[in-house]
Amino acid sequence: MKRASDNPDEKLIELSNVCLKSDRDEMIFRDMDFSLRRGESAVITGPAGAGKTSLVELLIGTRFADSGLVALFGHEVAPRKRSVIKKIRRRIGGVGGVFGLIPTYTVAENIVYPLILAGMEKRDRLERLFAMLTEFSLLKQSADYPDHLTRVERALVQFARATVADQPLVLIDEPLAGLDTQTYERIFEYLVKVSLSGRSMLILTSDVPARELPRVKNYNLGKGILT
Amino acid sequence: MIWMGHVARELGRSLYRNPMTALGSFLSLALVFLLFDLFWISAGTVDLFYSELLSQLKMEVFIARDMPESDLEEMQRRIMTMEGVTSVEHVSQKMAREELTRLIGADLLAGKDSANPLPQSFLLTFDGEHLSQFQLEATEDTVLQIPGVSEVFYSRIWLKKAESTKAILGDIGLVLGGLILLTAFLSSINFIRLMTRARARGFQQMLLQGASKWFISLPFLLEGFIVAGVSASLGWLTVWYVHTRIEITVINIVIPPTSETALFCLVAGVVGAISGFLGVRKMVD
Repeated sequence: MKRASDNPDEKLIELSNVCLKSDRDEMIFRDMDFSLRRGESAVITGPAGAGKTSLVELLIGTRFADSGLVALFGHEVAPRKRSVIKKIRRRIGGVGGVFGLIPTYTVAENIVYPLILAGMEKRDRLERLFAMLTEFSLLKQSADYPDHLTRVERALVQFARATVADQPLVLIDEPLAGLDTQTYERIFEYLVKVSLSGRSMLILTSDVPARELPRVKNYNLGKGILT
Repeated sequence: MIWMGHVARELGRSLYRNPMTALGSFLSLALVFLLFDLFWISAGTVDLFYSELLSQLKMEVFIARDMPESDLEEMQRRIMTMEGVTSVEHVSQKMAREELTRLIGADLLAGKDSANPLPQSFLLTFDGEHLSQFQLEATEDTVLQIPGVSEVFYSRIWLKKAESTKAILGDIGLVLGGLILLTAFLSSINFIRLMTRARARGFQQMLLQGASKWFISLPFLLEGFIVAGVSASLGWLTVWYVHTRIEITVINIVIPPTSETALFCLVAGVVGAISGFLGVRKMVD
């Protein structure tokens, strides 16, 4: 697997004094600080409703903090910075939560979409696609539409799409929930591989992972505070 | 090139996956444009009909009886130099008498061979642009100032009625034409919106992957352009086909030139592209 471009000191994620309130004026995050450097990974564990998906939304710019700084790849994620947000999103692979598949695209088209946005030539795209379809045993389903896939297959397609373009950061929201043991192990092995390739992952889950990823920091999210 | 290929595939996908919607839109838009084409042809034909009627309008300038014959040539020359006048024909008393005889017959004039009370005159014709009430009144005023002119006559009431009828038809045409174009515009928007509604969830995912709004919208812009442009062309092809098959001799049917119809199809395409953008805009916000 290719390594992402290296700058070990680069902060991929930086949250500083971030406060976020819900629509009902309830505090979701209170002065939250968090950072993730290139090559590092983090697992944030928290119960349902702790704000895991809200955190993902802050990072991908579908929601904005009431106060504090949210920055990815050194760029502030703020309203009116649509072109910045667009570029940031292209460097993020997303799985679960708000990330889903494009229903009118086949498996293959879903997987290559980030490569098209990256402007990759067709030949290289096909090579990458083939590698991903093989990696996740999706060759037979490559021409199927998401509606015809099982839940596990859909999750596999999302993992393939989230890593196909060597995205430096992979956001995974409740990644392994509901997966059978065999698929769990398989995806976990793949995540280890991704992690070892120098890319960063932020995993948000309500269950503590049974196994630990390399170079990973563990956090707990509860009552708006990250510990 | 990569993006263009993707956009082309997206365009094809949209039409291929919704063939009945696409066909329905093509046909309904083609009918709307056909209606506009027929309307355009009617407007051109009516315009030509009026122009031909007006071209027959002449102004008669009657000359005072005491006007010396030697001054007639100078008077004719002066009138000829007036703006819009294309010909000045001298009608002598004898010619006027002959014309009267032709009109009412020789029997009624029997026994009055020696009497000829008719004045001599000049018969003026004008170029098409000058044949309006306003222009002819101005010419009349100028002509009346020439010494030796006793009276000026032309069908002013007929001209007034013709002009007001033409103006009413023009106003109705403008409103109808606008309504037809608005219908085409709204139909295109609704068609694209119908196509995109089912794909709204996919658009959100595309945005999350970092696609720009333009990248997502472009296929629908092109789709609007193609659907409207092809529908407009289809309308014209129908008109041309029918025109070559049917011969109408009563009036001259005015078919707009190819350059204008091509421009119309292009404009229809642009309108379609705009409506495509408006149709998809809300889905990618």
